[in-house]
Amino acid sequence: MRKVLDRLYQLSGAIAAFFLFCILLMIVIQMVARWSGIVVAGLTDIAGYCMAATSFFGLGYAMSRNSHIRVELVLSGMTSDRRLAEIICTGVSAMIAAAFAGFAIKANYISFVLGEKSQGQDAIAVWIPQLAMSIGTLVLLIALLDRLYGCIRSPGYDYKDLPSDVVRT
Amino acid sequence: MELTYLLAVFLFVLILLLGSGVWVGLALMGVGGVILTLFSDRPAGDILITAVWSSSTSWTLTALPLFILMGEILYRTRLSEDLFRALAPLMQKLPGGLLHTNIVGSTLFAAVSGSSAATLTTVGKMSIPELRRRNYPEKKIIGTLAGAATLGLMIPPSLTLIVYGVTVNESITKLFMAGIIPGLVLAGMFMAYVALSVKVPDAGTEKTNEQTPATTTLQNMQLLLPLLILISTVIGSMYTGLATATEAAAVGVTGALALSAFQRELTFSAFQESLLGAVRTSALIALILMGASYLSVVMGFTGLPRDLAEYIGSLGLTPVMLLGALALLYIIIGMFLDGISSIVLTMAVVEPLVRTAGIDIIWFGIFIVVVVEMAQITPPVGFNLFVMQGMTGHQINYISRAAFPMFLIMALMIVLLTAFPGMATWLSTAVQ
Repeated sequence: MRKVLDRLYQLSGAIAAFFLFCILLMIVIQMVARWSGIVVAGLTDIAGYCMAATSFFGLGYAMSRNSHIRVELVLSGMTSDRRLAEIICTGVSAMIAAAFAGFAIKANYISFVLGEKSQGQDAIAVWIPQLAMSIGTLVLLIALLDRLYGCIRSPGYDYKDLPSDVVRT
Repeated sequence: MELTYLLAVFLFVLILLLGSGVWVGLALMGVGGVILTLFSDRPAGDILITAVWSSSTSWTLTALPLFILMGEILYRTRLSEDLFRALAPLMQKLPGGLLHTNIVGSTLFAAVSGSSAATLTTVGKMSIPELRRRNYPEKKIIGTLAGAATLGLMIPPSLTLIVYGVTVNESITKLFMAGIIPGLVLAGMFMAYVALSVKVPDAGTEKTNEQTPATTTLQNMQLLLPLLILISTVIGSMYTGLATATEAAAVGVTGALALSAFQRELTFSAFQESLLGAVRTSALIALILMGASYLSVVMGFTGLPRDLAEYIGSLGLTPVMLLGALALLYIIIGMFLDGISSIVLTMAVVEPLVRTAGIDIIWFGIFIVVVVEMAQITPPVGFNLFVMQGMTGHQINYISRAAFPMFLIMALMIVLLTAFPGMATWLSTAVQ
């Protein structure tokens, strides 16, 4: 199970990285096209979808690497009740993430049923890029539940006060 | 009365969720959901997805992951070593000596990176051990670097300014241009501080006074050339209007790849690592932005920002008083939240306030960045303090005390910026 989950996060991150590279490609193509006087319709919209895909697929991966930001001031000051506090805040976060994923999937399903088309020049069926939102929010939920399970299961769970890699903001 | 009640519920839920350690983006979504359910009969879930989806697919926002990627690629090159080797012979002769490499190095790296933590790590991984080896006072090494690295937020490209620009719907290019002169002025003030404070007799002196022959100085200077070309291409293409901020970011990534290929450091695994690192950082910002975009739509429904802006407008504050109050507010919020979170969290209320007071919104972006920079080095939560702690092992308190003079210099910068607003507005109006 552990292995499957880690693979899932890694795969999600790899897909996000792929779409990040696609953003770069779209923008370079668009620039070159503009300089050479060719009009390629809808590239900006596609770059926008790649942006959304990068963000959504990155959510769960970033959670699994402890990259997301939260206020740890109160938590890190706790000694005895730290574990309980972690369980509560991770649980609340998972509830919000569950609502997020649920509504995302519902909206995705509705635009699929209605056959909603994009407003932009690309005229793409909206449900296709929205898949990134449904899958990404679901992976985020899984990563949070994974963490919640870890907190409940083992008393010595490593909460990692600091992000595992340098926060670059 | 309704307003007070709404505000009380909002602040209570917000502080409860944030304080208990719920991740910032999710906490903002939670607050939005609670407010919408209590004060309106609109469908909370549908509004969440509409707001999140439209903000996530923004084309302007694509500049963000690209500039992050550019920094990630450069971080994995020899740039850090090159910067120090090129700057050291130049800075040696100045009063204050090699401590200036912290500041000039940060200024240069800030011009290719949008974040202060990345600037700190890149400059520090070379300069901290080198300065220690030359017996510079530890407190000065730590303090100047922690302070100067915040220039990463101000000197374009800047992630904070991208997020600000997207939030208030203003041109990223204009904001970037507005940051150049204040960034350089701030760097100059940091350098003046270093030059002056080293005159104190018991301050550190170099034990190993290495004399470098003129030829090597020149050779070392050449190491800076690729970086300078990259900086001028990215900023120049935006200034001349040849490229938008997003396109300049794509040019920057391409240039960074070329530079790392030129240094023969471009391996597939390094590129992969850079992409994944950029994914993590953009995802963390994206989650905050998703929560904030929902919260600002919700706040719009309640009318709270407008009412609050009207109320504060009725107090008859002068712009300077308003700015003073806002600076104080952001320094306090900044003690607990990172810069991007505190900007997106407050903008729904602060933007109408600032616009009604007749304050230039581009100028205000620079103003807010200086305040956020101060927050980066203010305990208990300041990201540069965390990064510095990770690098040196010093306590947060020690680092923040070491950086306190830089905090004061930034406070002085706020006064200067208010007295001479042209510093920020001149270049941004000259663009195009």
